[in-house]
Amino acid sequence: MTDEPRTQGDDTKALFFELVARRDPKVRDQLVTAHLGLAHQLARRYANRGEPYEDLVQVASLAIVKSVDRFDPDRGVEFTTFATRTVIGELKRHFRDKGWAVRAPRRVQELYLELGKVTETLNQELGRSPTVAELASATGATEEAVLEALEAGQGYRTSSIDATDRNEETLASHIGGEDASLDTVEDRELLAPAIAELAPREQLILQLRFGQGLTQSEIAARVGISQMHVSRLLAASLERLRKHVTENGAQPDASTPAGSARQPTSSGS
Amino acid sequence: MSTVRGQSTVSVELSIPVQADLVVLARLTAATVAGRAGFGVEDIEDLRLAVEELCLSLVGTRRDGRLHLTYECEEDAITVDCWYEAGDHETRGRVGDAEDLSLRILDALVDEHGHDLAKGRPSAWLCKRRADPIG
Repeated sequence: MTDEPRTQGDDTKALFFELVARRDPKVRDQLVTAHLGLAHQLARRYANRGEPYEDLVQVASLAIVKSVDRFDPDRGVEFTTFATRTVIGELKRHFRDKGWAVRAPRRVQELYLELGKVTETLNQELGRSPTVAELASATGATEEAVLEALEAGQGYRTSSIDATDRNEETLASHIGGEDASLDTVEDRELLAPAIAELAPREQLILQLRFGQGLTQSEIAARVGISQMHVSRLLAASLERLRKHVTENGAQPDASTPAGSARQPTSSGS
Repeated sequence: MSTVRGQSTVSVELSIPVQADLVVLARLTAATVAGRAGFGVEDIEDLRLAVEELCLSLVGTRRDGRLHLTYECEEDAITVDCWYEAGDHETRGRVGDAEDLSLRILDALVDEHGHDLAKGRPSAWLCKRRADPIG
């Protein structure tokens, strides 16, 4: 009989049992640190909706700490599932409180703020989350207006309002995700001199895209240029890096940004 | 769409081009169906995020084609089916691969979900049950 290989999940579970038994702060730190990547992933997923990415990372990271403190390994749920639920809950709350970068009409903003108060009151009165009809009745608004205000209030970026290059917008352009080229870019010390030769703005854009995983739209907002311009600058920078790698004898593998014709993920191209 | 309260099942269909500023329609439709069925605002918020995630998980980095969504609302549950129809001239990008993060997010937001990406017609579905059944 052979032993089943231990998985990362087994190790995590063992650490949680240890935490429950001994409340050892070092174990707690270890568990928090091990799951900060999830906080970053989720923050990236909900970035580009009017709130600074760094703020979302902070909210998500705190939610990981809360998750570690509250997780009960006896319940049979994976920690990542529990933590994802907690992080999303905290991010939703954050958007509810702060997500007003969206340019919603004043009447919608006012209704949204009123809905926040009324929802809280009804939550307590009813012992459950109120329905749209109950909110409409309490605020004197129509159900459609309530739905509109709730949609706007989530801090979603309404591209139809503020996108100047809407034809280039894709669903994926709203996601900053792991890029397959990230590791190879980071790993190639060979690229360092070539990167140093790029203009400061191009270096910044590369860092934001591959170092921080921001989307092109986010980078555009940060740098103050259009998403299309970011896309062009990234393509040009990657082409220069590819040339540098080729000229210096290394063979870029097929998955490197330089070695393939693929554009960075967020462009959707 | 008729009011669904008191009715056994309501079905709503939506077809949208793959374009970021139109995903709001997928979210709003979900919210409207759920709102009229008497779902609480917390559930509706979860459903909105989940429907967006469902769309993203199917579309991947494609920028062409259409998303077809069907919303079925029964007594205490809403089921959303979504499939991606590739565009005529689509040559770039990749279809979504239902990455781990998408699945985790859906786990956190809805009661059940599934993907079928193996066939020529990538599809996915989710089911959200009302957390607070009313009276």
